[in-house]
Amino acid sequence: MLEYWQTIGIVAMEGRGFEYPTDTVAAQNGRLYVPNRSRDFGERGVRVTIFDLDSEYYGTFGHLGEGDGQLISPTCAAESGQGHIYVADDYMHRITAFDYDGGFVACWGTHGAGEGELNGPPGIAFDSRDNIYVADTHNSRVQKFTSSGAFLNTFGSQGSSEGQFRLPWGLTVAPNGDLYVADWGNDRIQRFSPEGDFVAAYGESGREDGQLRRPSGVAVDETGRMYVSDWGNERVQVLDADGAPIQVLRGEATLSKWAAGFMETNREEAAARATANLKPDLPDVYGDDPHTQSAHVESLFWAPVSVKLDDAGRVYVTEANRHRIQIYRRKSPI
Amino acid sequence: MTQPDIALIAHLMRRAGFGVTRQELDAYAARGYEATVEDLLDPKDAEWLGDDMVRRFDLEASGMINAPGSSRNWVYRMITTNAPLLDKMALFWHGIFATGVPKVINGRVLYDQINTFRRHGMDGFDSILLRLAKDPAMIVWLDNQENHGDAINENWARELLELFSMGVGNYTEDDIKECARAFTGWTIGNTEYMMVRSMRDSDWPYGRIAYHFDYRPDDHDDGEKTFLGHTGNFNGEDIIAIICQQDSTARFISRHLYHFFVADEPPVPAWPYTPPRDPEAINTLVRAYFDSGYDMKSVLRTLFNSDFFKSEDVRYGKVKGPAEFLVGVLRMTGEFDMPRRDMIPRYRQTVWMGQELSNPPSVEGWHEGAEWIDTGTLVERINFASEQFGDAGKPGVSAMIDRICSGDAVRLSPENLVDRCLDEMGAFSVSDKTRDTLVRFAGYDRSRESVAHLLRLSASTQEFQMA
Repeated sequence: MLEYWQTIGIVAMEGRGFEYPTDTVAAQNGRLYVPNRSRDFGERGVRVTIFDLDSEYYGTFGHLGEGDGQLISPTCAAESGQGHIYVADDYMHRITAFDYDGGFVACWGTHGAGEGELNGPPGIAFDSRDNIYVADTHNSRVQKFTSSGAFLNTFGSQGSSEGQFRLPWGLTVAPNGDLYVADWGNDRIQRFSPEGDFVAAYGESGREDGQLRRPSGVAVDETGRMYVSDWGNERVQVLDADGAPIQVLRGEATLSKWAAGFMETNREEAAARATANLKPDLPDVYGDDPHTQSAHVESLFWAPVSVKLDDAGRVYVTEANRHRIQIYRRKSPI
Repeated sequence: MTQPDIALIAHLMRRAGFGVTRQELDAYAARGYEATVEDLLDPKDAEWLGDDMVRRFDLEASGMINAPGSSRNWVYRMITTNAPLLDKMALFWHGIFATGVPKVINGRVLYDQINTFRRHGMDGFDSILLRLAKDPAMIVWLDNQENHGDAINENWARELLELFSMGVGNYTEDDIKECARAFTGWTIGNTEYMMVRSMRDSDWPYGRIAYHFDYRPDDHDDGEKTFLGHTGNFNGEDIIAIICQQDSTARFISRHLYHFFVADEPPVPAWPYTPPRDPEAINTLVRAYFDSGYDMKSVLRTLFNSDFFKSEDVRYGKVKGPAEFLVGVLRMTGEFDMPRRDMIPRYRQTVWMGQELSNPPSVEGWHEGAEWIDTGTLVERINFASEQFGDAGKPGVSAMIDRICSGDAVRLSPENLVDRCLDEMGAFSVSDKTRDTLVRFAGYDRSRESVAHLLRLSASTQEFQMA
C-alpha cells in the first residue's frame, strides 16, 4: 500500500516552481526534471525545472522558442539509458534531448501522419535497449524509434477495439519489457508486447474503483501492479496485475518547502490561511463532479497528468492545475 | 421549405444562436420553425467539443489562473455547441448580471457563474435570482461578504433591485436597506483567506482555490423587516419571492429580453424616461412571465413564436455583440475542431472589438446595440471577419468554396455566384446596393481564390455586422 509522503512545488511563472507542469522524471543523477507548459505558452513560464527530493532547486532550461533546445508546449519527459532527458513538444511535434544540466543534445521529429512523423506527442518512454516509444496521439498510434530518432515500428489506429486508440496519452515500459499505454479516450490501459502485439486491456468507463475516466498516465512496478493517473476522476488508482483495484488515492497535499517559505515571508496571507478550513463541505450546488471538487479543495489532486515510479518505489503524481508534485511511498512491502 | 421560411429560421438562429451554416439551416428547416424553437429551448443530447478536450489541450482553460482561460473555455463551448440558446442565454445573463475579473480575480469562480447561467438560464426567474444571490462571484463582486448582521453593506441589495430585477424608481432607499438586512450572512466560505488572496492577486501556493457559498446564521439579521410593503422576518429567499411578484420586475426583464433578442432599446439608464419601442410586445412578454410563474423558458417560447420577433422589420436590425460576432465567424470557419494555441489570439480579438468576457466596464455591463460600433472597433470587426473568411485553408471556408464551385459554377453569372456565396454563409441577406457591389466584384473569375475573396468581401459588409 502507498502512503502520502510529501509535496514539492509552488506556482511560479519562472525559476523555482512550476506553471502547469506536465510530467516528472526521477533521473539517475538523483535529480527531478519537470517540464512546464505555462498558462498561455508564456515567454517565462515554459521551461523544465530541475530540483531534488529535498526541494533543492538547480535551475531551468528549455525555454520558449522554436530553436534547438527550446520548447513551445512540453508535454512529457523521460530519461534515456545514456542519461539524457528527452522532452516531447506537442506544438513542435518533436522530441528534444538535453543533458543533465539542460544543454541541448539533439532533436528530431516532423509533423505529419506518415511513418515516423508525429502529430502532438504527449507521452514517451524508453525500453531497456534505449529505444523510445512515442504516443502519437492525433495519429492514434504508438511509434518506436531509436534514441536518435530513427524509425523502428508503429502500431495502432483510431478506434476502440483491441490495439486501437483514442487520443492516447502517457505510456510506460514495464520491468518485463511490455508497453502500457493510457488509452485516454477509451477509458482503459492497454498492454502490448515489445513488438506492439496486444496483450491485455484494463479498466472500463466509470467512477467506481477499478473503473477509469480518461486516464492520462500509467506506471508499472516489478510485480506488474499498475499505478494509473485517473485524470477524469481526479485520482490515482493502484491496480493489481490483472486490473483489480487495490488502492484509490484522491490526494492529500500539504505545504511544500517552497510553499512554506512563501508563507514565512507573507505573514498576512499565512495568518488568514491558518484560520481557513481548507477541506470544506461543499454546497450541493457543486454536485459530485470530481473536477469541480478539486477546484474548490486545495489538497485534492487536480488534473493529475502523469504518474511515475522511481527505483525506490516512490510514486510521483504531477498535477497540472495545482502546479505541484505529490509523492507517495510504500507503506508496506509488496 | 420556401425561401421565406429559410430566411426566418436563419433569423431565429442569428438571434437565438450564433448564426448558422447552410447545412445546419437545412437540418433546422426540415424540422420546421416551431419545432426548431422547441429544440433550442429544450435541447436533447446537447453536445459540444467537451470539457475533457478543452481541459487536456488548453491547460489554462482548465486551471483558470486568470479570467481569459475561463473565457476561452466558454468560447470553445459557444463555437462548437449544438445547443446554442443555452450559451446565448448565458451571454444574456452575463450582460445583465455583469461580473468581472478586476474584483473577482479568480477565473474559476467566474467560470462557475457562467456555468450556472448556462444550466439554469431558462429556469424560473425566482430560481435564477436565488442562484445569483448565492453565486460566489456575485457575492464578491458586490461585497456581500461585507454585509453583516450588525453592519450592512448595501451594494448587492441596491444592484439586485436597480440592475437585476426592478429598475430604478420602483423601490425606496428603505427597501434597499431592508433588502440588505435580509441578505446578511450570505457570504463565501473561508472569507478572510479568500479575500486576502484576492486583494493580493495571490495564486500561491498551488493556484486558485474556487470560492463556495456559505450561509452564516450567526451573522444574519433575523429581525423584522418591511420590504415593498410586506413585513416579516425575511431572509433572502423571501425578498426574491417578493421581487418576482412585481409588475416592474416582469417589465424590466421583458424589456431586457426584447433588447437582446428582438430590437435595440436605448441604454438601461434611459428606460425610466423612454417608453419601449414596442409596448405591446413588452405586454405580451409580461403576460407570459406571470402566466408561467416567472418561467424564462415560457417567456422565450412566447418571444420566438411572436409576430414581433418574426417580423422582417427587425431582421438585420441589431448590431452583433463582439463575442457573438467572433463566435459566429469561428463557427462558420470551423477552425477549432479541437483546442489549439491559435485560440489565444483569436479570443483576444473580442477585446479589441470592445468586449472582454468576464471583464465588463462596470456593474451595468456593456452598453449594447449601436454603441458596440466606433471607428476603431468597426475596423477590428471587419478585419477579423474578412481575414477569417478569406483563408481558404480553414475547414469551414474550404467546404463552402467546394460547394460554391461545384457543378455549374464556371457558367454562373456574377449575380448567381454572389447569391450562392450569400446562401452558403447561412442564407445571408444583403441590401440591393450591397449586392450590386458584390456582383461588380465577382466578375467571371471562378477560381477558389476568387471565391474566397468574394466570401471575404461579403463578410466585410455592413449587413454582416448585424444579426
